[in-house]
Amino acid sequence: MVNTNQDALGIIFPNSYDNQVPELVNERLMASIPFASRYRMIDFLLSSMVNCGIDNVSVIVRKNYRSLMRHLGSGREWDLTRKNGGLNIVPPFAEKTVKVYNGRVEALASILEFLKIQKEKYVIVSDANIVANFDFNAMIDAHIANGADVSIAYKKEEIPYGFMNLQPTLTTDLYYTLELGEDNNRVTKIKTNPKEYGPQNFSMNIYLIARELLIEQIADAYAHGYSYFERDILSPQLETLNVCGYEYTGYTARISDKNSYFNENMRLLQDENLNALFGRSPIYTRIRDDNPTRYIGKSKVKNSMLADGCVIEGEVENCVLFRGVKVGRGAVVKNCILMQDTTIMSNVEMEYVITDKEVTISNGKELKGNDTFPVFVPAYKQI
Amino acid sequence: MAKEMIAMILAGGQGSRLYALTQKLAKPAVPFGGKYRIIDFPLSNCVNSGIDTVGILTQYQPLVLNEYIGNGQPWDLDRLYGGVHVLPPYQQAKGSNWYKGTANAIYQNLSFIKRYDPEYVIILSGDQICKQDYNDFLQFHKEKGAEFSVAVMEVPWEEASRFGLMVADENDKITEFQEKPKNPKSNLASMGIYIFNRDILEKYLIEDEADPNSSNDFGNNIIPNLLRDGRQMYAYHFNGYWKDVGTISSLWEANMEIMDPETSGINLFDESWKIYSRNSGMTGHKIGSNAVVENSMITDGCRIDGHVKHSILFAGVKVEHGATVEDAVVMGGSVIHAGATVKHCIVAENAEIGVNAVVGAMPADGENGVATVGPGVRIGARALVGPKAMVENDVKDGESQW
Repeated sequence: MVNTNQDALGIIFPNSYDNQVPELVNERLMASIPFASRYRMIDFLLSSMVNCGIDNVSVIVRKNYRSLMRHLGSGREWDLTRKNGGLNIVPPFAEKTVKVYNGRVEALASILEFLKIQKEKYVIVSDANIVANFDFNAMIDAHIANGADVSIAYKKEEIPYGFMNLQPTLTTDLYYTLELGEDNNRVTKIKTNPKEYGPQNFSMNIYLIARELLIEQIADAYAHGYSYFERDILSPQLETLNVCGYEYTGYTARISDKNSYFNENMRLLQDENLNALFGRSPIYTRIRDDNPTRYIGKSKVKNSMLADGCVIEGEVENCVLFRGVKVGRGAVVKNCILMQDTTIMSNVEMEYVITDKEVTISNGKELKGNDTFPVFVPAYKQI
Repeated sequence: MAKEMIAMILAGGQGSRLYALTQKLAKPAVPFGGKYRIIDFPLSNCVNSGIDTVGILTQYQPLVLNEYIGNGQPWDLDRLYGGVHVLPPYQQAKGSNWYKGTANAIYQNLSFIKRYDPEYVIILSGDQICKQDYNDFLQFHKEKGAEFSVAVMEVPWEEASRFGLMVADENDKITEFQEKPKNPKSNLASMGIYIFNRDILEKYLIEDEADPNSSNDFGNNIIPNLLRDGRQMYAYHFNGYWKDVGTISSLWEANMEIMDPETSGINLFDESWKIYSRNSGMTGHKIGSNAVVENSMITDGCRIDGHVKHSILFAGVKVEHGATVEDAVVMGGSVIHAGATVKHCIVAENAEIGVNAVVGAMPADGENGVATVGPGVRIGARALVGPKAMVENDVKDGESQW
């Protein structure tokens, strides 16, 4: 048979780490946060999956998902409008857990019956707070070569500020680092919320596991009232299950707080980063049919990334502009992220500002943040 | 269920006056305006006017056009009943024919029209840049009790003899038709956009097909026959922007005009009348630290490190450091290497302009050439392409073509 369908299905948790970026998820969830001038976070994951032949993807939403539903629609832009498989959005699953993402176990338990009747051999489980042009096929190959029961993708990197300063009383999102055995392969320990400096084997929370095994483990864990996949299922079984680390060396952007959101957008203004993220295969997103961006009058633009539909009459430097942003005459905008349909009127001066969508900054206003503390303007606000 | 009106778009033209640009693709598939192709205009007009059934008649080099149209989804024309259909000539039991003329192309697809049982059929041209509400046109047609209507534009009298002209009375009733006359009696030029009552269309197409001396053309045969029989024929005045982009210079000019919607009248930035197109899927465009961009239109995937002035860049164009692009139309995927100068010209898709090469020039007194570099052509380093050149093959390093 023609190998058109990779033998894996995808499951995405779009709400994970919502609590890390309270301003950005006011109107949405982690997966639908705008990123890199014309995308949403989830576009990278969905496109990576589709580009690897994975065309059966479930998105288990929990709350605040209107914007995600609108973004995904029927999944057509990602080629996920399929008779078999395709995009499967799973609405809120249980009444008894009030908190969002109190672990993956309940979430997965709610789709056990669905999982049982799928045909794919493997399941890829992922959060949506990491942007990467991920090659899942390479991970599947490594998984098979290692004879692994579970593979966990990790990146060698420092634990970001946003996680190091996590306040356990305010969030239920956990993060993990991996200790590997002598073969640098098998996971010997999973550390939960460690506060360690220097490069760690930092889990990307992308898991690969055989479907049958996942069903078995989840059913068992659910019966025992467990909630965390890593802490309650993987950790206690590291000796009996072959859990392997899969080091990902490609470009990643991990959103851990508002500052990292700002910095990761800005990092793409360097060509080598832009090429590293987008070079491998295309990233798809919802189409808006904007016209090309217009530069008119005395516009002056330096070192910036812009999507379609913008009209630039002012000065823009070191900025990321999403679709349909207008920058008026005499305005000077530096080091800013302006989300879709932001309007900057004449003679505005802005520095280190993130505007959410459809913000209007009226004539002559001045708005300045700092490189360590960008000002955030919520959606639809008029200043 | 019958449709009130369906559209048939004539898209078979070779566009031979676009030379290098139409060697491998039909004129309606020629890229336009940064992220569109010419056919996006009639298709988007149809959808925005509420027409959901469109036949596209293709004949010349249809591959790119077919692929571009696909299932019609980008125009919202993927419908269960109706939608967009590409209609090439096909073999029939009694033999097969290429489309012999515009009228014959529709004749050969009468069964397509019959399937949707419309009251009216609008015939459109696939090679014009125009934003038009066909609904207004249909209202006019109905109010006049017309059997046939044609959209007309007032043109300057001194240019009138280049067009097919409609002579009409004070009620807009057509009394005479002049095809490119020496002595024009009217300045109402036919835009090649017609609404027919379906029964009239069928009757005259069948009659025309039976005439062995006919050239099977709407302008030459059908319209004169309708006049001969005294049919109810009306001229619908259209005042908006309309441009037949049949030549290199008119194509270039139309591209320049969309950068200046305030004076040209063609506004692509109109939320209520969007022009739809198939998306490139590329990331946002990137303006480098040393780039200068002035009065230009730039779209997804572009990387600008040079100087871009009053130009339109299509998806994925790269302008390297020290390169200058002015008054130029640079189509998708083309690369302008460092130090190159590209002026007053059209660079087609996936072309490459070498380091320090010079393509075109700003017009000197009385000169008005538009240099054209064909698709996939490589202009070598330090090569020179003259201001009127039509380049269809690679130009080697240091060589020149005039």
